[in-house]
Amino acid sequence: MFSLSELETDALIEIFNIGVGQAAASMSAIVNETVRMSVPSVSFINRTDAARLLDGKAPEAGAICGVSQHYEGAFSTEAILMFPEDKSLEIVRLMVGESVPLKELTEMEQEAMCEIGNIILNSCVGTLANIFQRELHGSLPEYHIGTSDEILIASGSRHDTVVLMLHIDFVLEKHQIHGYVAFVLDISALHDLKEQINLYIARAMGQA
Amino acid sequence: MTPAKTVLIVDDSRVSRMMARQYIAGLHADWIVEEAGTGEESLVKARATPPDLILMDVNMPGMGGIAAAEQLRQEFPAVPISLLTANVQTATRERAAQLGIGFMEKPITEARIAQLLAALEAA
Amino acid sequence: MMNPVNEAHRLHLLHSVLCAVNLGAIVLDNERRVVLWNSWMIKHSGLGHDKVIGADFFTVCPGLRGGRMEAAIQQALYNNFPSLLSQTLNKAPFVLHASPVTAARNERIQQAVEVTPIAVEGAPRHCLIQINDVSIAVGREKLLREQAMVLRSQTFADGLTGIANRRHFDVAMEKEHRRAKRGGTPLSLLMIDIDHFKAYNDHYGHQKGDQCLIQVAAALAGMLKRPCDLMARYGGEEFAMVLPETDVEQATVMAEAIRARAQELAIPHERNNGELPQITVSIGIATQKVDTAVEIETLIGAADRALYLAKRNGRNRIESMLPA
Repeated sequence: MFSLSELETDALIEIFNIGVGQAAASMSAIVNETVRMSVPSVSFINRTDAARLLDGKAPEAGAICGVSQHYEGAFSTEAILMFPEDKSLEIVRLMVGESVPLKELTEMEQEAMCEIGNIILNSCVGTLANIFQRELHGSLPEYHIGTSDEILIASGSRHDTVVLMLHIDFVLEKHQIHGYVAFVLDISALHDLKEQINLYIARAMGQA
Repeated sequence: MTPAKTVLIVDDSRVSRMMARQYIAGLHADWIVEEAGTGEESLVKARATPPDLILMDVNMPGMGGIAAAEQLRQEFPAVPISLLTANVQTATRERAAQLGIGFMEKPITEARIAQLLAALEAA
Repeated sequence: MMNPVNEAHRLHLLHSVLCAVNLGAIVLDNERRVVLWNSWMIKHSGLGHDKVIGADFFTVCPGLRGGRMEAAIQQALYNNFPSLLSQTLNKAPFVLHASPVTAARNERIQQAVEVTPIAVEGAPRHCLIQINDVSIAVGREKLLREQAMVLRSQTFADGLTGIANRRHFDVAMEKEHRRAKRGGTPLSLLMIDIDHFKAYNDHYGHQKGDQCLIQVAAALAGMLKRPCDLMARYGGEEFAMVLPETDVEQATVMAEAIRARAQELAIPHERNNGELPQITVSIGIATQKVDTAVEIETLIGAADRALYLAKRNGRNRIESMLPA
């Protein structure tokens, strides 16, 4: 199983924290409230374990809401923002400001969730691309609802594909919501990532 | 040539602290850089070696950056403090203004550090 | 290999297509200057090519500076990432009108926007802004929500009086509190309590007591003027009135009108403790002013304290308190 050293993990977490921090600032401008987002930890796990991690929070089928974007260029990855369905509803309600309780996300709310995914994923990947000084091209967001396995399969990954999981803490108006961003990466992309992190660290230590 | 100063950099990310140390050393090789990984640790370090400048990450577990900055403001009123954050929002700006401290946007770059130091020198 | 005649023909064709498509298309160069502004944009913005081509985008649309649109343009030009601006999170960012009639009413087209990077041969990256008119979809959703609200009001209604119940009040209060904060408008709350109601119940019996509540509730609810105003049964003989976009003066006027109306009902009350021998109400007013947001509990607390003051000062009167 692919893994990073403590220092490499530190660097990656810091990079993602900068990314979601900027996303939080964007979202804060939309709702005119303080929004806080942070990435407390990351892990590299295979797809089966990733699905289990998400399902553990919401065992009912069809209970995960995901927004995915595909990135190509210097490396290729599928990035997926995931929240348990009721939490997605909560986030959208908080962002949109509606307190009308509807059973399912309406089409307009799905679009709002897509935008939220678009903001967060672009911020994360954008920061990554900038710091690694790499050129990437992204796609527009796509909305998914289903079990975590279904959502991860939709990304075209195999059951033993490695997934870089970011744990995300989202805080708005005293509501604290925990979600995930999954990056589906193939072996070459993973090694590329490790190499880039080390270059970044070397620059930080004044050795590059 | 400014006299050698002591800078306290507070951030839970080791890489972040390394980068800040690197950029400061690049501009002032003789300055001393102290590090702290948490708000609590920053109080201990500051009391042990009073700094001339404090860089404080906002997003830290435990006693957050803002709480630590408030405490340090009280104990070291003459020391300039700069909050480090990727998430510059109105609430952060207002709080910083209230405390009389500045903030710097993340990611920490050589240019931003240079800008901060130049601004302090001018003050 | 494209010969010059075909090339010119193709360009002309593409140009015609762009003018004919039923959506707004804007292209910005790497310096954020407008290089393309299609017919749909001209028609709905009222701005011709002379006003926009070559100009900085944020000079043409100053209201979009520093917001989501600017962030999206940055993402496209510098990171090569596309962005989506949903109509729910971004209310009609561009100043676009369906017709001169709606323009006069200041009604904008509901918009769904996409910002996409585009590669241009021999030049740094440009970006394409597409604007879709989604007014119909928005209208439909609004209707559905209203219908759902009607259905839901059946579980939000107080069993006895038929007006809104406490649950409805809580939901509405949260919604209006948030809306007031975002819109920068004042929010007023009235706490209305029937004077010496326990004595009424004891003397006339519970059935008459119920009828009294029904009558008072109906009369007071009938005084609401706007759809966003809400009158709810808060407790036994206590009612709460949520008045969005209402400042202290307006709330005071309304409260006095309510007090008078209750008295006007002339429901006999021999046990009104030596006061007028009829049903009266005491009212506590609290207003959350613009730019001084307080917690909902604080606002309710202030209205309660004002109500208490009204009772203490002799009943059948109104008092107001500032939420601290």
